[in-house]
Amino acid sequence: MSVETKLPLETDVVTKQMDDIHPVSRYFLFLGKDSVKRNFMWLPLAGMIICIILGIFHPQKHPLPYEQYIPGSWAIWGFVAYSLIVLSANTLFKLLGRDESYYGEGGLPDPDYSTDPMVTGEAHHE
Amino acid sequence: MPVMFSVLELMPDWLLTHGPAFLMALPLLMAAIMAVLPNKRVAWFTTFIVTSILTITAFALALYNAKVGTTIYKMGGWAPPHGISLVIDALNAPVLVLIALMSLITVVYAMPATVAEIKPNKRAPFYAAFLLCVAGLLGMVITGDAFNVFVFLEVSSISTYVLVAMGAARDRRALSAAYNYLILGSIGATFFVIGIGFLYMETGTLNMADMARILADLDGGSRVAKVAFAFIVIGLGLKLAMFPLHTWLPGAYAYAPTPVTVFLASTATKAALYLLLRFTFFVFDPSYAYVADGLLYILVGMGVIGMVFASLQAIFQTDARRMLAFSSVAQVGYMLLGIGIATTASVAAGYLHLINHAIIKGGLFIALGAMWYRFGITRTEDFQGLGKTMPLTMGAFTVLGLSLIGVPFTAGFVSKVNLASAAADAGWWWAVGIIMLTSILALVYIGRVLLLAYFQSPPQVNGETVIRNEAPIMMLIPMWVCALASVFIGVKSDAVVGASIRAAELLLGAG
Amino acid sequence: MNEFFLITEHFSILKQINPGFWVILAGLICTLLPIGHARKAFVIAAPIFAGLLIFQLYDVNSTEHLGGVLQFGPVELTTLRIDELSVVWGYLFCLAGVINGIFALHEKCRITDSSALVYTGAAIAGVLAGDMVTLFVMWELTAISSVFLIWKGGDHAYAAGIRYLAIHVLSGVMLLAGAVLHAQANGGDFMFNDIGLDSPGGWLMLLAMGIKVGFPGLHMWMQDAYPKASITGTVILASFTTKFAVYALARGFAGADILIWIGAIMTCFPVFFAVVENDLRRVLAFSLNNQLGFMVCGIGIGTSLALNGVVGQVFVHVIFKGLLFMSIGAVMYRTGTAKASELGGLFRSMPFTTVACLIGAGSIAAFPMLAAFVTKAMILAAAVEEHLYIPFLMMLFASAGVMEHSGIKVPHFTFFAHDSGRRVKEAPWNMLLAMGIASFLCFYLAWPWGGYQNLYALMPYPMEYAYKPYTWDHVVFQMQLLFAAIFAFTLLKRFKLYPAERRAEILDADWMYRRMGLNVAIWGSAMWDRLSVHTSRIRTRTLSNVGRRLYQTFSPAGAASEATPSGLAAVLTAGLLFVVLMLGYFAR
Repeated sequence: MSVETKLPLETDVVTKQMDDIHPVSRYFLFLGKDSVKRNFMWLPLAGMIICIILGIFHPQKHPLPYEQYIPGSWAIWGFVAYSLIVLSANTLFKLLGRDESYYGEGGLPDPDYSTDPMVTGEAHHE
Repeated sequence: MPVMFSVLELMPDWLLTHGPAFLMALPLLMAAIMAVLPNKRVAWFTTFIVTSILTITAFALALYNAKVGTTIYKMGGWAPPHGISLVIDALNAPVLVLIALMSLITVVYAMPATVAEIKPNKRAPFYAAFLLCVAGLLGMVITGDAFNVFVFLEVSSISTYVLVAMGAARDRRALSAAYNYLILGSIGATFFVIGIGFLYMETGTLNMADMARILADLDGGSRVAKVAFAFIVIGLGLKLAMFPLHTWLPGAYAYAPTPVTVFLASTATKAALYLLLRFTFFVFDPSYAYVADGLLYILVGMGVIGMVFASLQAIFQTDARRMLAFSSVAQVGYMLLGIGIATTASVAAGYLHLINHAIIKGGLFIALGAMWYRFGITRTEDFQGLGKTMPLTMGAFTVLGLSLIGVPFTAGFVSKVNLASAAADAGWWWAVGIIMLTSILALVYIGRVLLLAYFQSPPQVNGETVIRNEAPIMMLIPMWVCALASVFIGVKSDAVVGASIRAAELLLGAG
Repeated sequence: MNEFFLITEHFSILKQINPGFWVILAGLICTLLPIGHARKAFVIAAPIFAGLLIFQLYDVNSTEHLGGVLQFGPVELTTLRIDELSVVWGYLFCLAGVINGIFALHEKCRITDSSALVYTGAAIAGVLAGDMVTLFVMWELTAISSVFLIWKGGDHAYAAGIRYLAIHVLSGVMLLAGAVLHAQANGGDFMFNDIGLDSPGGWLMLLAMGIKVGFPGLHMWMQDAYPKASITGTVILASFTTKFAVYALARGFAGADILIWIGAIMTCFPVFFAVVENDLRRVLAFSLNNQLGFMVCGIGIGTSLALNGVVGQVFVHVIFKGLLFMSIGAVMYRTGTAKASELGGLFRSMPFTTVACLIGAGSIAAFPMLAAFVTKAMILAAAVEEHLYIPFLMMLFASAGVMEHSGIKVPHFTFFAHDSGRRVKEAPWNMLLAMGIASFLCFYLAWPWGGYQNLYALMPYPMEYAYKPYTWDHVVFQMQLLFAAIFAFTLLKRFKLYPAERRAEILDADWMYRRMGLNVAIWGSAMWDRLSVHTSRIRTRTLSNVGRRLYQTFSPAGAASEATPSGLAAVLTAGLLFVVLMLGYFAR
């Protein structure tokens, strides 16, 4: 049953899909494009570099003891912190992750409705 | 309080100046007239009027005292120490109000109760004896003369024996109870008068203030004073039902006519307790070693043992009035404990409990009397279903019972908390534990009957469930007055606590 | 203001009654009101009315407005106190009440309406309470009234609701016990002022507040219950309970050094949990916990700059955190789920919600021109001023973490990432309106030209100089942090190092009672059963023996109650007299 309801979504033509999309969003569909997604990363990189350079001309008024020696100290700290947090996720997941039914209190995804590939066994729409 | 003082404006001047004498002379005179009155209805009405006047007078005098301080009335214009003086101070003014008020409440309750319990031809003498008893109690509280105390003690005691014996119309066991009370009461009075005699020997005066002064000059006095102290403490101990000298009390309370029980439970032991306070702290002084030892070992020791033992006995009683009687012995223990700790806070707490307990027990005994009046209930197991058959009476009983246990927002809570905190301040933590323990025991013996009353259905008589049959209005009024008073004190305790602290400060010196 | 509009002048009784009580009253009326529209009118009007009252009662020039003094025996209650600290929370809760009410306009549910109103009112009344007893009552009332919002989440929320209730009632009891001990140590003064940690009562109260504000290790009720509540329920819950506790901490424990470290740890640990969590509402609950860490730390620093920062942070936090919860709530309302693994690509269907969520995300991450930029910086600046470098770095670390879970993860997995294929309708108008108001406020409260200055005007403590948020160095370094974080995200994503969303139950401190405690209890009760079977004979025999002894001694038929003949009584009397005489004889 679930397969049947999903079929039109997967196989229908583009125009049909456009009907489902909110009129405002039609102007922003480029955000879903692969090239945009891939090249988005240059934007924050550029911003970061500009801000580091600006930071040299406008140093902290109340710096931490080490900060005047390191240009872009907050950028470094932010990058390192962010990477550390994200990279710790796998280990943490192995340590603390349990099956969703661990406590047995319900709240599991409804297989008739779910779009999670792990539940439906089908890949995401791209 | 200033608002209350305006009441004094309404009082005639002579009442304020001669009130002390009036307070004991009026009931004494009226008792004599009453005894020869043929008409029983007039007797009740006269008694009602007399007790009302007494209440108003006592109240006015107490207010006057709060306003101007200690007043000394010279009987017949003879100045103390040679003449007899009547003293009104912060210590006895509240007790006077209490006695007068409880006598009024008792008289209201007695109107229906005596109809059921006293033979018509005995009612006028009953009221005469009652007024005598009131006169005696008021007299022994108000007088400043030690021998006079003994006289009034005997006046009240002898009339009480008569009153207790009148219960024989209902239950013949009243006679043996009255006899028992007579013997022990006489022993107590004798001990007391012997003590007074020794004191007279030591100090050469009978005026209590004078005695106190001379004893202080003698630094506590010789062995004669010690013997006097022993006799007085034991004599009063008998009168106030100090454990183990309480054996007269359960019988007297259980078999006396119910109005008598109400009055005895709320005033007689309280007046004796007042005397104990007057003698141990005013005439004698806790700074004398023998007084301090007596307080510590006899009053506290016996008080605490009594609290536990009598509470346990109350739990196992099958007769409701005996249960409350044993509870009274236990409550006397609280007051003795408060007196025995002998700090201002603890004496104030004991004094406060004296007042609160009088109201609580008076109301409880009225409720029990009403139950007997309607259904002839004396046994605790007959309480089943009373919550439905007598909801108003049982309601008052519940409120007062909770107050006896010491549930928050009731009078019992205020005095128990004050007592416990006074004990804790003095470092007597074990006493706090005992207070907790006996409160739990009180919960057991009161809870036992409350459970029966509310969670059992009314009994069946001849195959039909007993229907609702509420007490007459003249019983409901006094019992609810007591119940509401106990809640009022629990919620707004400033006035009563203030009075008890003033009394304690008078005894122990301010601070 | 025109005299005529001062309703407090026309009805002077209003000066004595805590404005929160009116909201509670409206909630109680709603329990009986069968007409949905009328209830909704109450839900919107009651907080507005309360806010108006607070405005009229609070005199900017005088220090405080006291009222509603009640005397219960020795305890004096001051049920109403509006001063420069509590007035901020009063306004804030009224504002949040209105926004939450708009967000919930579509929901026709009597329980939600009335419990939301009582809950809101209890929170308002709680922060405007002057004494600790009223505080306690409101503390418990917020818990009791809000648990219905959790239970409205469905059957699987039932157990979480019970746990929530149990923990909060426990917290309340500890608060009361602490308050009594504290008042006793201070001569029976129950006014709620600075408490300090000199007495055991103070510690007990700190612990009670710590539970409610989510100290590390005491926090799990939040992440347990919030994601399970109903859609509107979560939004409402997230506004009040913890902020009420922050108020209590700021009032009672400002400048308590231990809070600096508790707060710093509190900012850091949730970011690790948030990154692995799949349920986005739980991610937001962790984020909430992390934000509270900043506030707790600021309270611990205790300088007027830090405390002003905390007050501002609380104000904007309620708005942007509400905005985030509302946007995820709107998504959940349309899709039926808030699991990252079920969502993605929703910007195609819900563009306005997407924008609102991005504004919320930007606000919480403290982008310039958005809400937290001003206030969080104040707390950080205060830490530097006090030379608290380690807590400062921990908070900076956490700021990067905030960017991770709330700034990137929540919008990314919901609205972007891979397309889940769900094509749903845009959120209902009332949700959009609520989100619109909150979004506007996010901009307004950080607006450099006349926006954040209004927030400053609310701040209670006098500052030597007004903190200037829009300086070159602050903007530039903040942007460094944020750009670096986004860049790290894109880089990790490119190299497939960013963990995919995975369904799982992540263990946390609640494992202690949900699993271990439960097992211990089950084991204990089994052991107890066995023990009681084996010892039943001994027990019954002992009990009956004790009972019989007591009965034999004390019953009317027992030894102690034997009718004492008067002769024996006389002997007893003589004996006692002898004892007293001996005492007198041997007395010193």
